[in-house]
Amino acid sequence: MPPFPGSALSLLQNMNSSPTSNTNGSTKSRPRQLVQARAVQRFKWSVLSVLIVVLVAVLFPVLMLQLYFSFHGYSVYGGSWWDAEFVGLELFEEVVTDPRLGWAIIRSLLFATGSTIGCFVIGFGLALLMYRPFRGQAFYYILFILPMLTVPIVIAYTGEMLLYQKGPVNDLLSSIFGRQVNILWLANADTALLTVMVLEVWNWVPFSFIIMMAGLAALPDEPIEAAKILGASKWRVFVEIQLPLLRPVIVLALILRFLEAIAEFPKAWSLFQGGPGSATETIPTYLYIVTWQYFEISKGAAMSYVILLIMVAIVLLAIQILRREKIGLDQIYDSRKETTA
Amino acid sequence: MNRNLKRKLAQYGKYFALSIWALIVAFPIYWIVATSFKPDRDWFAWPPVYWSEEPTLNNYAVVWADHKEEYEGGTQYSHSMQKPWKALRNSLFISVISTFFAVGFGTILAYGVSRYQILSEGRMFQLLMLRMVPPIVIVAPLSLYYSTLHLLDTITGLVIIYSITTLPYSVWMIKSFIDELPLEIEQAAMILGASRLRTLWEIVFPLVRSGIVATFLFILILTWSEYLLALILSKTEVATLPVELSKYEGSVEGRVYGRQAALAVGVTLPLIAIGIFIRKHLARGFSFGMVKR
Repeated sequence: MPPFPGSALSLLQNMNSSPTSNTNGSTKSRPRQLVQARAVQRFKWSVLSVLIVVLVAVLFPVLMLQLYFSFHGYSVYGGSWWDAEFVGLELFEEVVTDPRLGWAIIRSLLFATGSTIGCFVIGFGLALLMYRPFRGQAFYYILFILPMLTVPIVIAYTGEMLLYQKGPVNDLLSSIFGRQVNILWLANADTALLTVMVLEVWNWVPFSFIIMMAGLAALPDEPIEAAKILGASKWRVFVEIQLPLLRPVIVLALILRFLEAIAEFPKAWSLFQGGPGSATETIPTYLYIVTWQYFEISKGAAMSYVILLIMVAIVLLAIQILRREKIGLDQIYDSRKETTA
Repeated sequence: MNRNLKRKLAQYGKYFALSIWALIVAFPIYWIVATSFKPDRDWFAWPPVYWSEEPTLNNYAVVWADHKEEYEGGTQYSHSMQKPWKALRNSLFISVISTFFAVGFGTILAYGVSRYQILSEGRMFQLLMLRMVPPIVIVAPLSLYYSTLHLLDTITGLVIIYSITTLPYSVWMIKSFIDELPLEIEQAAMILGASRLRTLWEIVFPLVRSGIVATFLFILILTWSEYLLALILSKTEVATLPVELSKYEGSVEGRVYGRQAALAVGVTLPLIAIGIFIRKHLARGFSFGMVKR
C-alpha cells in the first residue's frame, strides 16, 4: 500500500460509502433528519477536502520527485536536475547492494531495540515503585519527567560535556570505584553506539514511565483485591493479574518508543556525525550523509525509497497491533468508568 | 514486629532506588546549569569543576545580551551576536503558528470524528503514519520541492510541514478529550433549542477547553525541540533555536561549553515550565490519547 497520498486518495473513494448521522432523536420527523444528514455530509466534505488538498499538495509532488530522482542519475555537480540522465534501476541496485546501508539498518534495529528495552525496563520499574501514593510522589514524578522535556540537541551537548575523556562522569566513576576509570565514551568505535543508546535511554525513560504510571493507575482494583484475599503472593498478583491486564499499555509503550528510536537523529548526529569510522551510522544519519555530505541526491532518493517502503511496512504492522490493543485499552477505561460511576 | 521491620526495609529500599535514579536524572541537568555559570578556564579543567568558585553571568551576557567581551585568550566569539534572539523569535513564530494550525484543524476534525465518524477507525490509524514514518525519508525531495516554491528557508515552509507532522497528535489527543464528554449534554442543549454552532461554542468548547490547551502546549513542546526538519529546511535565514544551538558545535572557535550551556538553559527552560504545567496530560499526548489518566 502506498504511503500518504495513497491513503488520502482512498479516503476519497471511501467517502460516499459510509453512512453518517448518529444523532437522530426518535421524535424527529423524516425531512428534518434528512436535512441534518445533509448538513453532516457538507461538514464532513468541507473538513476532509481541506485535509486531502493539503496532503496531496505537499506529499504527492514530494513522492513524485523522489521517484524521479531514484531513476535519474543526478548529483549537484552535474547540471540542472530536470535533464539528468535516466538510469533505470541502476541506483536501486547500487542501494540494495550497498553494505553500508545494510549495516546502518542493522545498527538502527540494534539501537532501537536496545534503547526501547532499556527505557521500558527502567520506566516500568520506576512506575511500579511509584504508582501508589506516597510521601514525595509529586516531587519524584516531576523530577523524573524532566529529561523528556529537554531538547534533544541539548542532551547531546550535555552528554558531550559529561562524557569526554577527562570529564565529570569518568571522574565520578573513578571515585566510586576507587581506581582510575578512563572510558572513551566519545572516541571509541566500539562504544560510541552504546553512548548514544545511553543518552537515548536517559532521554526517554520518562516516556515509558508516564505511560506505565497511567496504565497502572487505570487498572481495576477488584481482581487484585480478590486475588490478595485468596492468598496470592505479591509476585503472583503481578505476574498473573497485573501483567496480563497491562498488556495493551505495555505493547503501546514498546511500539511507540521503538518507532521513535528508529527515527532518532539529533543526538547521534550532533555528537558523532556517524563516526568514529561508521560506528554510529544509523538509518537517518547515513541517509543524511549521502544526501547532504556526499550530495548524491539520486542515490539518497533511491535509498529513501527503499527505507520508506521498509518503514511503511513496519508502521502498518505497528498500526495493526496498536489497533488490536486499543480495544483492550478502551475496555480498561470503560470498566473503570462503570465502577466509578 | 518482624513484619513491621520488613515493611520498613522495603520502604527504605524504594526510596533508595528512587533516589539513585533521581541522581542520574538530576546530575546532567545540574551540570549544564553549573557550566552555564562557569568562567571559561573551568570548562575543561581537570579534575572537573563541579561548582565554580567564581560563578559568572558572562556566558548569559555574551549569548543573550550581545555582550562582546574579550576572553582571556584574546579571541572573541563572533558567532554569538544577537543570533539567539533572532532564533528565539523564529522558533516562537514557527512553533506557535504551526501548533495553532494543527490544533485548530485538529479540533474540528476530532469533533467530526468523535460525533459523526467522518473518518473511519482505520483511516484514523492511517493518519498516524504522518508521524510514525521517519521524516528523513522524504525530506530530501521535500527540500527540492520547497526550493522551487521558494519556501526553503522560510517560516511558512516549516509551519506547513510541522502542522502536518503534528496533526496526528492533535487529532487523536483532542478526540480523546471530546470522547469523554457525554453526548447527552449536547443533545439536551439542542433539544432546548440551541443551534448546532451555539451548542459547540457554548457547551462543547468550554468543556474541552482545558484539553485543547493541554494539546496546544504539548504540540508546542514537540515543534519547539524538532531538529531534523529545521536543520534541512531552514539553516541560514530562519534558523530555529535547536539549529542555532547546533552551530556551536565544531565551529572555528572550538568548543565553547559555557556559551552552549547558557544557550541550552534558555532553550530548555520554557519547555520544562510548560511540561510541568501539563504533566497530567503528557501520557495522553505521547500515546496519541490512547492512555488516559
